[in-house]
Amino acid sequence: MVSTQKGQVRVITGNAAAAYGAMLCRPDVATSYPITPMSEVAEQLSTFRAEGLVDTEMVEVEGENSAMNVVAAATLAGGRAFTATSSWGLVFMYDAVQHASGFRAPVVMAIANRETPGILAVSGGQQDIISTRDTGWIQIIVEDCQEILDSVIMAFRLAEDYDIQLPVMVNYDGFYLSYMAMPVEVPEREDVDRFLAPLKQQPERTKLVPGKPLGCGTHGIEVGFVELRYKHCMAMQRALEKVDEIDRSFGEFFGRSYGGQIEEYRTDDADIILVTSGGATGTARVVVDAKREQGIKVGLVKLRLFRPFPRQRLSEVLKGRKAIGVIDRSVGFGWNCGPMFMEIRALTPEIGIIPMLSYIDGLANLDITILHIERVVDEVYAASQGKPYQEVTWIPLEE
Amino acid sequence: MVEKTKKSRVFDYFQEKEEVYAGGVAWCAGCPLELTLRFVPKVLGKDIVIVGCPCCSAPVLYGQNLGTWHRLSYYSTLMTGVASSATGLARYYKKIGQDATIVCYTGDGCAADVGFQPLSGAAERNEKIIYICYDNEGYMNTGVQRSSTTPIHAATTTTPIGKESRGKPTVPKNLPVIMAMHESAYVATATLSHLEDFAKKLLKAKEKKNEGFVYLHVFCPCPVGWRIASDSSIQVCRMAVRTNYFPLWEAEYGKFRLTHETPNPRPVQELTGLIGKFAHLKEDQIEDLQRMVDERYALIKKLCEDNK
Repeated sequence: MVSTQKGQVRVITGNAAAAYGAMLCRPDVATSYPITPMSEVAEQLSTFRAEGLVDTEMVEVEGENSAMNVVAAATLAGGRAFTATSSWGLVFMYDAVQHASGFRAPVVMAIANRETPGILAVSGGQQDIISTRDTGWIQIIVEDCQEILDSVIMAFRLAEDYDIQLPVMVNYDGFYLSYMAMPVEVPEREDVDRFLAPLKQQPERTKLVPGKPLGCGTHGIEVGFVELRYKHCMAMQRALEKVDEIDRSFGEFFGRSYGGQIEEYRTDDADIILVTSGGATGTARVVVDAKREQGIKVGLVKLRLFRPFPRQRLSEVLKGRKAIGVIDRSVGFGWNCGPMFMEIRALTPEIGIIPMLSYIDGLANLDITILHIERVVDEVYAASQGKPYQEVTWIPLEE
Repeated sequence: MVEKTKKSRVFDYFQEKEEVYAGGVAWCAGCPLELTLRFVPKVLGKDIVIVGCPCCSAPVLYGQNLGTWHRLSYYSTLMTGVASSATGLARYYKKIGQDATIVCYTGDGCAADVGFQPLSGAAERNEKIIYICYDNEGYMNTGVQRSSTTPIHAATTTTPIGKESRGKPTVPKNLPVIMAMHESAYVATATLSHLEDFAKKLLKAKEKKNEGFVYLHVFCPCPVGWRIASDSSIQVCRMAVRTNYFPLWEAEYGKFRLTHETPNPRPVQELTGLIGKFAHLKEDQIEDLQRMVDERYALIKKLCEDNK
């Protein structure tokens, strides 16, 4: 066993963790435009720059749309680029978000998740992840401040991998993780350099060089368009295994790993499984432990990767269980169920017909409490025993 | 780096044997957009990156699938992302110490309307890029709809002539002046009828982009959309200058200077008479246009005087 690299422990917020993660990767260009609750990422990066800790070109853009265009272009010219946003900011860069993925621009973007337009909600929720689900980005959802920092570093190694070359979003709960200070081990920059070094051994990405007769972008016509779409889809599929591989490598290097696509907790002998994502997972672990003591064989799966969807690994862990409960922090319009629930439901041919229960909770900064999750476990357990159940429950409306 | 050449007259630029465009490009006959886009690399040199967006220049600049009509390096983006993408390229090349001339090339719909925010942002940040707007006074590529630079009373497909409509009801956005008010490194107007003036401004643009943001506003008649003869576009350019409809000036850090004086300007009717989109104008509407031309020219004169 190789001894792992130690860093310095600092008590920092989730936003600061995202900024530290980016800074450690020495981006060539970074942009951001302030929005609650991620503005601190921009401030922190600007502070690093002001203190000379990085030589990143910081662009203080006039809007999020420009933030995304700046970083996409910088990566396609051959650089490393980082930005951060949230909610309406993500929505405002929607065209550029799709431009970046369609052009295979390996941008890394941190997102402090927040409710999206419709009703003004300056509060947490994962609807912004859902609104960009089909944009062709890799989407990672993390649980705590340490995982934010580590995942930003891993995201660069994933995005810029020669076989992937796709933009990556690192999602964390706005207001909860964005503002919560936790002890975070900040790796040494040289160690991060070494962790990212394998990228340098790969073939060089195609890049735009002034004066060279090379274009970036084209009118995709007929089969030409289909071919690019197909290649994009295949890169997404390759990312599944790559996420696991990079996570393992990170674990060997820094002594921390997160399960890659999904993280399992006490699933080995579990009859029922609870599926969560993001910060609520920590609460769910506590509940799982308590319910285990009561004799309920419940296990927990944290969905870390939302796009590409960890179909195979989820099927493997969910197969043979008696019932599943999925907690979503967003809504699925037109389905009246949680979007993550809907996707897990699509695994039915692989895992068999069993009770699946959708729970919508934690919208607009409402807490997903221990009591809420206890209730979920109890209801999923009852369903596993053949009791009648309600398929979709909006927990805050039933309290 | 400004080209250190003996080229002194504009015709010298056309002696360059190597042509970066293929024959038979997909632009309309007589379109000054094409002539402008052919002229720009002749003066600026070929080590440029052209940043474009969906517009009349896109079919040729973008190519289709793996095919292309030119040998320039270019970056295609959306109308909302031209100045910002150029910023990303320029900043990265700066970071790695690569000499680069980033040239944005868009129509007025991008520059004055949907892409205005990033354009204004890049100008305010004084990004080291050159932004060329070819102003054909409307959305010509999508079928001649009005933009915010469409002149008052002009007919377009969205400001048609009918019982309740006599063309565009409002005056055009004075984009070159707005850009000059950003007080960035260099802003100028140019058009193909005054090629010597245009070439000088391009050379100056290449020099000034080392200091900061450069904006060139190029008057660019659209033979199809304006309903003019395809062999008359340069004539229309010349008349736009002679009537003071499109005065030629430059501004360094907001300091204005006329680069071409018209001692006895012609009435605007001599310009509108050449253009089909003004064919319906009545006398009072021509007076409106004349008033606008006079007021805007007086503004430029005043700005130049204030600079003395």
